[in-house]
Amino acid sequence: MDWHQLWEIVSAPDNVPIVALVPLLIFYTALAVKQARANDRLIAELEANPQEAKTRYRKAWPFKPGWQKEVHVWPFLLRVEFLAAIIVTAILMVWSISLNAPLEEPSNPNVTMNPAKAPWYFLGLQEMLVYFDPWIAGVVMPTLIIVGLMVVPYIDTNPLGNGYYTLRQRRFSIGTFAFGFLFLWVTMILIGTFIRGPGWQWFWPGQTWDHSRLIYEVNRDLPDLFGITSNMGKVVFGAVVVGGYYLLGGFIVFALFRRHQPKDYRRMSLLQYSIMVFFLLTMVGLPIKMGLRLAMHIKYVWITPYFNI
Amino acid sequence: MPELPTPDDDPITSKSYALYYALATAVLTASLFWALWDEAYGQRPWKEYQEVFQQRYSAFLKTARSKSTQSQKEVESSPDYQKMEQQYKQASDQATPQINKLHDSITDLSAQILAVQNVFTDKRAYVSAVTYEIETDTDPSSKRNRQRDLAKWKQQLFTVAFPDGSRKKYNYEQLEAEYNALKDQRTAANSQLGDVLKPITAIKTQMDQYVSDHMATLTPLQVTGLENKVEDISPAIHQIVIPDPRNSGNPIMVDRCESCHLGIREPLKLTAADMAARGQKPDKYARAFVSHPDTELLDIHDPEKFGCTTCHQGNGRATTSMVKAHGTYEHWLWPLFPKENVEAGCQNCHSRDMVLISGNAGQVISEGKFLFEQRGCMGCHKYQGYNSEPEELRGTDQQIKQLEQQKIDNLKMAAEYTHEGDQAPDNTSANLLYTKAETLKVDNSKIDGQIHQLDLETRDLMRDTKKVGPNLKEIRAKLNRNWVPVWLHKPTDFRRTTKMPNFRLNDEQIRSIAAYLWQTALKDPIPHAAPGDAAHGKELFETRGCLACHSIGEGDQRQGGDFAANLTRVGEKANYDYLVRWVHNPRQRIRPYCPYEKKDIGPEDYAKHGLTYAFDLDHTTCPNDGHELQVENMTVMPSLRLSQQDAQDVASYLITLKEKDPSSYPDASYMDDPKLKAEGEKWIRQFGCAGCHEISGFEDDRGIGTELTQEGSKPIERLDFALFTDMAQRGEGEPITDPVDRARLPEGPAKAPWYSLKGFFEHKLAEPNIFDKGMIKSDTDKLRMPNPHLTPEQIRAITTFLMGSEDTSAIPAAFQYAPEDARRDIQEGWWIVRKYNCVGCHQFYPGQQTVLMGMKRYQDPDWKEQLPPKLLTEGARVSPQWLTKFLANPALSTTDTNRNGVRPYLKVHMPTFFFSDHEIRVLVRFFQALSKQPMPYLPEQVPVLTAKETDMARSLFTSQAAPCLKCHATGDPQHDKFATAPNFLLAKDRLKPNWVARWLIDPQAISPGTSMPSGLFRQQSGHWVFAGPTPPSFQGYEQDQNALLMRYIFQLTPEEQHRLSGMMPRNAAPAKKASNSVPAKGKRASGTLRRSPADQAAALGSGSR
Repeated sequence: MDWHQLWEIVSAPDNVPIVALVPLLIFYTALAVKQARANDRLIAELEANPQEAKTRYRKAWPFKPGWQKEVHVWPFLLRVEFLAAIIVTAILMVWSISLNAPLEEPSNPNVTMNPAKAPWYFLGLQEMLVYFDPWIAGVVMPTLIIVGLMVVPYIDTNPLGNGYYTLRQRRFSIGTFAFGFLFLWVTMILIGTFIRGPGWQWFWPGQTWDHSRLIYEVNRDLPDLFGITSNMGKVVFGAVVVGGYYLLGGFIVFALFRRHQPKDYRRMSLLQYSIMVFFLLTMVGLPIKMGLRLAMHIKYVWITPYFNI
Repeated sequence: MPELPTPDDDPITSKSYALYYALATAVLTASLFWALWDEAYGQRPWKEYQEVFQQRYSAFLKTARSKSTQSQKEVESSPDYQKMEQQYKQASDQATPQINKLHDSITDLSAQILAVQNVFTDKRAYVSAVTYEIETDTDPSSKRNRQRDLAKWKQQLFTVAFPDGSRKKYNYEQLEAEYNALKDQRTAANSQLGDVLKPITAIKTQMDQYVSDHMATLTPLQVTGLENKVEDISPAIHQIVIPDPRNSGNPIMVDRCESCHLGIREPLKLTAADMAARGQKPDKYARAFVSHPDTELLDIHDPEKFGCTTCHQGNGRATTSMVKAHGTYEHWLWPLFPKENVEAGCQNCHSRDMVLISGNAGQVISEGKFLFEQRGCMGCHKYQGYNSEPEELRGTDQQIKQLEQQKIDNLKMAAEYTHEGDQAPDNTSANLLYTKAETLKVDNSKIDGQIHQLDLETRDLMRDTKKVGPNLKEIRAKLNRNWVPVWLHKPTDFRRTTKMPNFRLNDEQIRSIAAYLWQTALKDPIPHAAPGDAAHGKELFETRGCLACHSIGEGDQRQGGDFAANLTRVGEKANYDYLVRWVHNPRQRIRPYCPYEKKDIGPEDYAKHGLTYAFDLDHTTCPNDGHELQVENMTVMPSLRLSQQDAQDVASYLITLKEKDPSSYPDASYMDDPKLKAEGEKWIRQFGCAGCHEISGFEDDRGIGTELTQEGSKPIERLDFALFTDMAQRGEGEPITDPVDRARLPEGPAKAPWYSLKGFFEHKLAEPNIFDKGMIKSDTDKLRMPNPHLTPEQIRAITTFLMGSEDTSAIPAAFQYAPEDARRDIQEGWWIVRKYNCVGCHQFYPGQQTVLMGMKRYQDPDWKEQLPPKLLTEGARVSPQWLTKFLANPALSTTDTNRNGVRPYLKVHMPTFFFSDHEIRVLVRFFQALSKQPMPYLPEQVPVLTAKETDMARSLFTSQAAPCLKCHATGDPQHDKFATAPNFLLAKDRLKPNWVARWLIDPQAISPGTSMPSGLFRQQSGHWVFAGPTPPSFQGYEQDQNALLMRYIFQLTPEEQHRLSGMMPRNAAPAKKASNSVPAKGKRASGTLRRSPADQAAALGSGSR
């Protein structure tokens, strides 16, 4: 166990946000879940007792005469927000005094740094480059992510959950978010920070980042495993596999979604539903491709003269 | 969830956040103060340095002041000063009444001027304003009116109230006149006062000058000046800005080093102990406040012009911390040079200098630069400036080819023009074409001249090309065959101090390399030599000067220089016949080599063309194709011009030098096995043997190493620390485990991180294959650099040299030391002086130790006089024409060569180096430039003596007090046995008249330790006169008598000298000399010369009175 190496990575000024990200994410997720579960219990209680719903505006306490039904933004909300602003300002000040910007030597095109890492918020994208061609990982996927986020308000037909935390009422959307961001995106950032060393090779935490390390790794394409050699055959095979994934995946999602989210399903139009399914399957496709690559050394599934996936 | 009791008040509206606010605000305020502190002090640590400096320096100045006052008092109590003080007092007492009077009148006048001025300036301002209006008035009539008004106004009377109470009235013009008159009066009074004060101030200045001249330290006044300066220090960044001449907005350099290093340019010598807090050890402040250790260097390299980082590197702009400013962090590419390698900085601008010595500085870098050449690093590693001849040869070759092609083209063109001219329609155009053709033909003759020059250049370059190691084509004639594999195994086992590095060869490699060398060596027989007298050979070897380069004996017994091989065991390896030949003339080759045909030319080639088989420096063309041949062995070893008999004697002595018998070496007959040859060729190529040796089949091979000209700028990532990268970065230990190699590390085994150029170079030089350790590699992939078995000091020197070998494009070109004047001759000359190890025998600058000076033999006073001449002022002494002749042939004779041309009495002979014309040119210019003599040299005219002057001079020349011919040689063998100084007949050609005149006055000042006595002449009424008794004819002679003697010497004829030497009383060697320890037969034993210069002067003095 190379503690020196580990400490070097953890203590690098570049990595401070990422090191902080882990406990912060856990804390805030836990906090949100706690509140959501409390709300869920209250919702269950009130549904069982509609009478109570008339007197109960706050989730923790029943209504009491003299209490306002609604409170003003100023000062009751703003004073809390201002307190938060003060604390954040203090943190930023202390941070900027104690850690200098990680500037390095003047750039030299003859000597590039190794590993060359993107800023932490782009590390996920950089990690995707391992699994896809540059223009897919760097152009198509980010575009799909942005478009996907943009369509969320249009395909989300569930009116519940506005202004309060709840799990029960938004199980599907929260689950999707938890998978896509909390798990997938953050994991990729963590891999990019802690795992990827010189040559973008995979180093387990505590392994020394040796610049001259050599590893034996051969990646194959999926058609090769099936003995397909002709280019045309590869195009067709890939189309069948990818098409099959979306088809089969579509069926599975259909079956599960209709069973577990019948209300949502009923509320959605065909267009809304199919857009949702497309983005969902594309998102799930990423970890599948990662798994194929990392565990089975499969490079491409679909090879065409124009693009490879 | 347990139901909480419902509070009475609404928790949202009633909850108080005061405490949270108080805490958060406190934190925010604290961070604000922290930010302020950080801005003022945290990011500006130099402020603290400046405060501490102020305290410490004023404390130091206080002690300096008391010392200074003390010594001032001492100076002031001296009689000289007292006298001046008296004078001063007297003069000032005398002048006081007058001075007071003048002062009074000046004060009075000033008051009057003030009174007039008050009124006058007011009126003048009015006049000026009105005049302006008149000038700018466009209406002629109003202009006239205004003019009239002004004239009228000027007639008005104005009242001036004088300080004595009186009032006077003036109109405008009178006022102006009065004002000017008063001012003139005051000026006159002032100048009068100046005249009166002048003698007094002069004495005062004299007194001050006396004090500062006679005080070793600063005067109290100067100290006070410094104290005031220190008091005024207020926190500020002190920076040196070097502007870019091409881009004024963007300076090249901003060095803020002096913000902390405040004492660096103080006029006092400040040490860390001086600047430590009272009674404490020097801390980081004390170490930062020292003054620059070498003020002389600092004077040459004015920081205002060069900054600090040009020499020292580091991050001159950074002020936030010591690490940042010194640049000793991974992202600053030019970190401060460590103290022990500080001279690396010199190389940036002085890469063209071979020898860089200034006071105590420059020894390390000069040693590094020398070692790079001498130890043969340049054989494998290209480095601009080193070993450039092969490349230049290729260049001239190319040029000759181009010119020859051009000649052919020109002829073709000329023929064409002539042809066109023949068919031209009219005469004018025909003539034009003929002229063109003619021009081309003339061009061709110019080209011929150019080609001839290039041929000469080629010849010089062929001669200047030297190899570090011996010519291996001659090993069949030279070596004991069985010795070769033993040597290859580990050269240092046989000869501890050899230049040949250890190559870590395995047995297979040794066998095949030895076989290749043996089989490709020349098989021509060399003449047999008769055995010689080893005892005489030993004497010759020890006294001829061989030991200036070679050494003999191991360990404490070692005597001689380390420029060439240690010959302690040479008898085990060498053949006698070859040794004789080598000692007689090491440059003599068995066969000449033709670089054009790439083969060794033998008698058969000469016979083909009906030529006799003769090749030497006068016969250098190839019989087959007329190209320039390599006719010399490419060694720097000169010929000592020994006779054949002497050469045999020396060789006979050398062959006795052995520890075991040559026949005891194990048989190596496999070296004749032709099957090993191909394998051997491969390994010779692999290890780049041809970098240092001439090897058959490898004549054109270039160095196999990486170019090092800019090695110091190499990014650290490009240096392969292999498996020790992490170890080096983290300072986790020392990879070199071999105790011998470990002891080579200049800084000892690594304790701190050594992931730097310095660390790499040092480890690489200590154990070149260290970065192969733990790696699995085939023999051909292994690191090839051999172990040069250097000492820690040598490694430090080479490391310093390499660290300084940087890309200098960021440094302004004007900083580069590339003079175009005589200083360039000095730069170029040093390369040749070091190349041939002239410094082994001769002293070039005061304090330089030659090898011979350090030897036991020459500690004896008798032998001390046998040391080769010092060349401190050689350029001023000898004429360049003569020097040219002498360097080409130091015997100054073509027939009697076994002698010294100038100093026949010296046992050490100036060898013949067979310098090329180019090298002689450079050397002659070097000596002239070193003595600041102009080139080209036009000989001074020496005025012819009149008959009377000749008589006078002759009487001086032969006088009893200075019997010149007693010590100076005359060419008479009987006399020259004892006369050891140069023959006067040489002087005319050899010496510069002016120098001779100076030499006659004080030889000791020119060449300390010379036998020539000083004090022969003394100064009398503005002239130099002979210090001994002079005949009456000298009465009334009003010229310098040393010049008279010089002129006589320059006009001395052989006949006259012969006549005089006959007249000279030749007192034979005094009896006590017989017991002298010098064993030589040609020992000089003149009583006069044995005397110290002081004795000599005493003798002269007693004679004259």
